[in-house]
Amino acid sequence: MERGAAGGIATVTAVARHLAVARAIAAKDLRAELRGRQAVTSTLFLAALTLLIFGFALGPDRASLAAAGPGLLWLAVILSGVLAVGRLHQLEMEDGAFELLALYPVPRAAIYLGKALGGLAAMVALGALVLPLTAILYAIDVASALPGLVLVIGLGALGFAAIGTLYAGLTVRLRAREVLLPLLLLPVVAPLLLAAVSATASLLAGDPLGELGAWLQLLIGYDLAMLLAGGLTYGLALEE
Amino acid sequence: MPLTTIHVRPTGVPDETTPAVETRDLARLFRRSPALAGVTLRVEAGRAIAVLGPNGAGKTTLLRILATALRPSFGMAAVDGIDVAEQPEEIRPRVAFLPHSTGLYDDLSAAENLRFAAQLMGLPGPDRAGRVGAALDRVGLTADRDIRVSAFSAGMRRRLALGRLLLGHPRLLLLDEPYAALDASGMALVDALLDEWRAAGATVLVATHAGERLAARVDGWLRLVDGLLVEVGGEGAGGEVKTEAALQPWSGALPVGSQP
Repeated sequence: MERGAAGGIATVTAVARHLAVARAIAAKDLRAELRGRQAVTSTLFLAALTLLIFGFALGPDRASLAAAGPGLLWLAVILSGVLAVGRLHQLEMEDGAFELLALYPVPRAAIYLGKALGGLAAMVALGALVLPLTAILYAIDVASALPGLVLVIGLGALGFAAIGTLYAGLTVRLRAREVLLPLLLLPVVAPLLLAAVSATASLLAGDPLGELGAWLQLLIGYDLAMLLAGGLTYGLALEE
Repeated sequence: MPLTTIHVRPTGVPDETTPAVETRDLARLFRRSPALAGVTLRVEAGRAIAVLGPNGAGKTTLLRILATALRPSFGMAAVDGIDVAEQPEEIRPRVAFLPHSTGLYDDLSAAENLRFAAQLMGLPGPDRAGRVGAALDRVGLTADRDIRVSAFSAGMRRRLALGRLLLGHPRLLLLDEPYAALDASGMALVDALLDEWRAAGATVLVATHAGERLAARVDGWLRLVDGLLVEVGGEGAGGEVKTEAALQPWSGALPVGSQP
């Protein structure tokens, strides 16, 4: 009994330590990223530009713009998200920091979780910019469906950060990483894009949150699967 | 003690006879070119050993393998009797590595860089600030603690990287060109730290071109050339010295055009 209790305490202590490591990595990433304002501004600007350019391409017809809104919202989030998750790993390459990060006596999964948390914060920030901008540019009423949209954007951001962090880690040492990351990542996020766009369109069409069961299940399942895959395989990114 | 017998202990604290570092036929290939070509060596615990050799000799590769940053292609390496490839997670808390690049984050201040390292090393919160402050003081960067590293000179970055080594109490220090980019006072700082680490009983391996400067501060030396251990001297280090002919078995691994 005592051994069981001691084991339980040790497990809780280990989990708390892993979470503290993850929090430290995420906080470091965000602090560094916010200080290098150029990169943050560029990423946000790309999201806004994507919405604007597609708006021009679709023409002035309000109905077409409103119909395309959910898809373009997620395209803007995902395309600029590729830059955001890539940036968080490029920070590690500035002076060989990635190699040292791998040598700290912490589990690979805790390092992954920290990088993914940083990615999640970046994705949520992108969502917070893109949602109101989509509403303005495409004349869409988002206010009435706001709680559901926040949930869907949160789940989509988590899934993208989970898989984006893994792929950014795996490609960061490669010379052609800027090209390879989107090439490898975008096909894998297709299920997430499908579920998130469909759920967003349903919410904007006035469907209650309760009717989105299948899409929400897909998003949650995707998030869990990608987090698990990242936690188990991110160690490969840290090996040379 | 024959060098062909390697002392691998699954876990735990090494006994007195366990070498701090031991390798057997250790090889590492980059693409098809051997950076290390079958190195067998041994370093006794508590010794300071210089790892000498020209550029491309394999010094950095040896240190990176011992730090668990690289996996051996062939052969094996052990720290405190623990295989670096089999149980890297057991090695990492024992080892502190000063790589050639400093591994610092440009957009963080000096203190933030060390605080982050201290967090990942698992230093408890109450000790962290004190240890970071003491490390900055020791390397002469107290006045610059809140300045971002992007504004630091190469020498200041090197000092800060040295300060990171002072946060923990490693059993093995692996220093890759610690004098690089440092002025006279910075070099004197490295000398003083080496003396302190030796006095504390740590094992220190220093890869350097500055062998003359180190002569008075190390117990022995290993010399590598073309990935081979060609000379062993002083006390505390041993190994199987090889001649250039030992590269022959690796000739098939060499890229076309580089074969003798």
